[in-house]
Amino acid sequence: MKRRLISWLKSFFFWELFQGLRVTGRYFFARKFTIRFPEERTPKSPRYRGLHALRRYPNGEERCIACKLCEAVCPALAITIDSEEREDGTRRTTRYDIDLFKCVYCGFCEEACPVDAVVLTRFHDFHFEERGQQVIRKLDLLKLGDRFEEEIATDRQTESKYR
Amino acid sequence: MTDDIITIEIDGRTLQARKGQTVIQVADEAGIHIPRFCYHKKLSVAANCRMCLVEMEKAPKPVAACATPVMAGMKIKTRSEQAREAQKGVMEFLLINHPLDCPICDQGGECELQDLALGYGKDVSRFTEAKRVVFDEDIGPLVSTDMTRCIHCTRCVRFGEEIAGLRELGATGRGENMRIGTYVKKAMASELSGNVIDVCPVGALNNKPYRFSARTWELSQHAVISPHDCVGSNFYLHTLRGKVQRAVPRENEAINETWLADRDRFSCHGIYSEQRIAQPQLKERGKWRKVSWDEAIEVTVERLQSVIASRGSETIGALISPSATLEEHYLFQCLLRGIGSSNIDHRLQQCDFSHDETMPVAPWLGMDLNAVENLQAVLIVGGNPRKDQPLLGHRLRKAALRGAAIMYVNHRAYDLNHLAEQYLAATCDDLVIQLAAIAKALMQKTNRAVPDALQGLLEQVEVDEQQKTIAENLHKADRALVLIGSQASLSPLYSYIVALSHCIASLASVSFGTIHIGANATGACLAGALPHRKVAGTADEQPGLSAHKMLQSARRAYLLFNVEPELEAWDTATAHRAMHEAEAIIAISNFASPTMREYADILLPLASFAETDGTYINAEGRWQSFTAAAKIQDDAQPGWKILRLLADRLNVSDLAFNSAAAISKVLREQCRNVVLNNTVANIKLPQHDFSAHNRRLQRIADIPIYSTDAVVRRSLPLQQTIDGMEADKASIHPQTAAEYKLETSEYVSVTQNGNTIEFSLQLNEAIPEGCIWIGLGVPGTEALGPAFGDIEVSAS
Amino acid sequence: MSELHNYTLNFGPQHPAAHGVLRLILEMEGEVITRADPHIGLLHRGTEKLAESKPYNHSIGYMDRLDYVSMMCNEHAYVLAIEKLLGIDVPIRAQYIRVMFDEITRLLNHLLWLGAHGLDIGAMTMFIYCFREREQLMDVYEAVTGARMHATYYRPGGVYRDLPDQMPQYETTKWKSQQDIDYLNESRKGSVLDFIETFIDDFPNKVDEYETLLTDNRIWKQRTVDIGIVTPQQAMDWGFTGPMLRGSGVEWDLRKKQPYEVYARLDFDIPVGSNGDCYDRYLVRVEEMRQSARIIKQCIQWLKNNSGPVISNDHKVTPPNRETMKNDMEALIHHFKLFSEGYSVPAGEVYAAVEHPKGEFGIYLVSDGANKPYRMKIRAAGFAHLSAINEMVKGHMLADLVAVMGTMDIVFGEIDR
Repeated sequence: MKRRLISWLKSFFFWELFQGLRVTGRYFFARKFTIRFPEERTPKSPRYRGLHALRRYPNGEERCIACKLCEAVCPALAITIDSEEREDGTRRTTRYDIDLFKCVYCGFCEEACPVDAVVLTRFHDFHFEERGQQVIRKLDLLKLGDRFEEEIATDRQTESKYR
Repeated sequence: MTDDIITIEIDGRTLQARKGQTVIQVADEAGIHIPRFCYHKKLSVAANCRMCLVEMEKAPKPVAACATPVMAGMKIKTRSEQAREAQKGVMEFLLINHPLDCPICDQGGECELQDLALGYGKDVSRFTEAKRVVFDEDIGPLVSTDMTRCIHCTRCVRFGEEIAGLRELGATGRGENMRIGTYVKKAMASELSGNVIDVCPVGALNNKPYRFSARTWELSQHAVISPHDCVGSNFYLHTLRGKVQRAVPRENEAINETWLADRDRFSCHGIYSEQRIAQPQLKERGKWRKVSWDEAIEVTVERLQSVIASRGSETIGALISPSATLEEHYLFQCLLRGIGSSNIDHRLQQCDFSHDETMPVAPWLGMDLNAVENLQAVLIVGGNPRKDQPLLGHRLRKAALRGAAIMYVNHRAYDLNHLAEQYLAATCDDLVIQLAAIAKALMQKTNRAVPDALQGLLEQVEVDEQQKTIAENLHKADRALVLIGSQASLSPLYSYIVALSHCIASLASVSFGTIHIGANATGACLAGALPHRKVAGTADEQPGLSAHKMLQSARRAYLLFNVEPELEAWDTATAHRAMHEAEAIIAISNFASPTMREYADILLPLASFAETDGTYINAEGRWQSFTAAAKIQDDAQPGWKILRLLADRLNVSDLAFNSAAAISKVLREQCRNVVLNNTVANIKLPQHDFSAHNRRLQRIADIPIYSTDAVVRRSLPLQQTIDGMEADKASIHPQTAAEYKLETSEYVSVTQNGNTIEFSLQLNEAIPEGCIWIGLGVPGTEALGPAFGDIEVSAS
Repeated sequence: MSELHNYTLNFGPQHPAAHGVLRLILEMEGEVITRADPHIGLLHRGTEKLAESKPYNHSIGYMDRLDYVSMMCNEHAYVLAIEKLLGIDVPIRAQYIRVMFDEITRLLNHLLWLGAHGLDIGAMTMFIYCFREREQLMDVYEAVTGARMHATYYRPGGVYRDLPDQMPQYETTKWKSQQDIDYLNESRKGSVLDFIETFIDDFPNKVDEYETLLTDNRIWKQRTVDIGIVTPQQAMDWGFTGPMLRGSGVEWDLRKKQPYEVYARLDFDIPVGSNGDCYDRYLVRVEEMRQSARIIKQCIQWLKNNSGPVISNDHKVTPPNRETMKNDMEALIHHFKLFSEGYSVPAGEVYAAVEHPKGEFGIYLVSDGANKPYRMKIRAAGFAHLSAINEMVKGHMLADLVAVMGTMDIVFGEIDR
């Protein structure tokens, strides 16, 4: 009887409404947790799987040896490689295309690469302006690698003990 | 017989085995897989890799399955703890010195070492010391070496000894220092050398032209038939995104066993030559213009019709490659006969057609290919199967190893890989006389009659000991073959060769076989690509001109189907001239050489053998159909489609086929009563005076192995082999060289029919005296005259 | 005046409350639904067929994309099926990591559901609050797997790599004071486990807030109580699982009834409803969040105290680590073969199911001994739930359809696959 009365009273005086308003009201004065993208960014993990890049050795030689494991392991068939013997007798790619519309960013290519050539960088806010730009070619991938090399290298360093 | 069958048990399964089999053979038959590296079913047992160790009951140690003959009641366990441990241990040893090359090794993905390491090995290594390194040798343009990867299974060594018949590769040193290499650093000269790529279980020996171009898992595999010789080897073309990358053998015990000739394996690298015609082209005022198919066909039809209108249809000549498909041959001849010309031929290299009327329906080996290895005596006239039909050569070698007497009558001695007697004939007359003498010897021995046409000749000749031996060998053998080789048709006295060979075969009561140049000569004859015969050997009431005649008495227009007459014709100079003088040359072709671009007026791009559907009939008369393996390059079209379209525009009826299969079905129906038979009856022979002696220097010729057709001529790796590089040299006997004061000259000027060409000269004792050998079909020899005939030579 | 007849209404597939690409053909009698006919298939991507043409591991990433709000749970069922066929053992640490992430995923799913469901029936604020919490969990996903949603983290034999001992931190910008940055980084000082722990410790308070906003709210109750009642018998007949079944009072949870991984060692309760209406299903899900938090807490404790491998060391199935791969022939061969060809799975067929946030998510796998599945069939919980929509909404008002559909928690990634 008593509980029914309390419940009736609560209902009559919009008790639950005020309870709710108290919660929302508190957040009026709480510290903000939103950020202003793109000027501010959320922290990114060294494991982040963003845009691909092809790396070089410190002496400037491209790492990729055209073993095609990344092409084989790619579930989305996003990677296309042509290879041949370079003049110095080494095995090299003549074409290394990644179709970013096909890519599912699973990171298998990086896992498969025996020479750490293809990597997924932290870079994620890229865009295309024209048709066909979603296929990034070998030279652009190498440029991306050069651009992010420092970050890529430290990230792989941090991660090396887990892989 | 029942005594030979014993019962053994493998992995708990009771199996029947024949005495003398090894455990691994029985297991293979039963589908029980035993890992192995050195064992290969076509090679002898070496038992040196130790990978096939299995547990045998009552044996103290594991035994090698490849070297253990079966015994009654034997119990084998292939996956027991002991066997597994042994296999693991062997695997670990094998991998100790193996370099970490998988990512850059072409074998990766099809590597037996990888597969077995995954299936039978451990997953981490305990070996931390330095690995050994072995330096590579350059062993030619076909096979790449990475000898550090070698695991010393010695399959390649055994292949060289047992199959190729050349001790090219060998093992030197022992233990860690063991090396596989060529004893003498020379290129592997075998015509089957490419097979070491397949036998090598690791990536030590690999396909050089294919090096680094693709991975096995991305290739799609298409079964095709060899387009180069009449063996009709089965193989696969591997394509990547529609482009041919390499060829590998397709096992067919009846034809090529597990092997493949280098010519078949590496010719695919010629398909994408720079000379490949990309688009239909017309020549206008000396300039080539690329046009659409519609326009090209329209102009072709116009040209042909104007020639027919002004000069008559018999002024059109048509030449087709003997390696074109059956369907193409059929449509080609139907098209030509449809517009009223019977001037169709595929026998460009032949000049003596006098026995055409009486020739058999189609040339035929006279037996199955695998019957060849059981022969006791073989007489080969005009040809060297080792180079001309390498896998037939392999069968002959097998016969020789089993003790058969193999005898050759040729214009030059060949470098053979088996024991054989070679009889040389310096001139064409001489060759015929030798054959006549053999026939005579047999006639005396058997007291049988010879055809009337030959009697006169046989009376003229005298028999010497050599010919008696040959006759004796043939006579005493139960299973023997007289085989006219594919080079014999170059002889101006070919009809005599055919008549005499047939006579010899029937006198000795042995089989008689004829083989021709090209993959489909048998098919061409059946399809009616002959001037005097239509489909299935029915006579043409208005026979046309043979290849040689239509070049000699020049036609107004020529239709060329994938031929280069200036290289492939018997008389190249005449062919070259005929081409230049003609009003219209319509070339349906894979390639256009600069020479062809000079004389041709219309170029219609043809799909290569890898890009078309078709059928080949091999020397055994076996019909083998195949479908297109690769995407057609650029704007080319399959031959049957081009011919169908032309037929349609030229109002030739009944050729509206929608597929190659439909064409071969019709042909099969028409040929169903044809029985291949080489019997030559009532042969007509031309008059020839065998007593005249020509004292002048003679040219002799054959078609070198890598000059047989347009694709092969454009395959760079094949041209870089020893066989390929020697093809364009003139060879002469040292004695003759001395006679003409050429011993010291590196280069000579050769003049035939008033044309002079410079050759590099090779002194070769294989060439009979009084002759100079110059290959036929070798680029650069266009201006020279006939394959046989007078020739002048001087130092330059 | 002519009589009013049944009115056919096309609901979706672009309706914001249709949760993706559901298309419903509704037959209305005024505002009352007489028949609801779901049309599905607009998000069909052929995952099952696709899996037949790829080595086993290639499909892990596609599992994430089935029910794209409970990514790792989908992966879990798939790798469980493969492990069952292969007969390999998973290291205990990997099992704890998997369980922890399954529960984090459950939180992610329920938070999204709660937010979206609130939004559907008029509670705007919930959406923002729930996404605030989801953000933290997404950060955990990212820190551990490298992706905020499509993790591709589970592998047959364990998980790809161990939990990192650092949590990425906010960087100083001119837009925020150092104080604000420090506040944001406060929970990110330690390892990922510390971060999750801080979050989980506070999470029940957050759930309390949600409940304050919703549970007693009269509008909420008017929209959900006695709407879409499913009796226990009906729920079982229709193949309901998960909160849909438990909301009707059937105590069935695979984590308890067929414990997989380490669930048997963990202490948690299964909430059940009594009426089987939308409100009960809401209560069950909210309570499940509290229970998940309990499980996560226990996992964190264990993971902090125990180390060990996170993936099986049977390199016939799992690739060797990178350093060995670069120095060791055997390891390189295994690496090469695993990444080019994959592993072959013994012939056989197997069904493996997990207690997915939405119900029983199962993978039926047939292997013919090759390196890719002969057949794969996905048992998606949402499919059974959606099938019952006609029975559940018949006689309800059009607005109630949204509430019913909301509590079904359907996601078209898994229904259409």
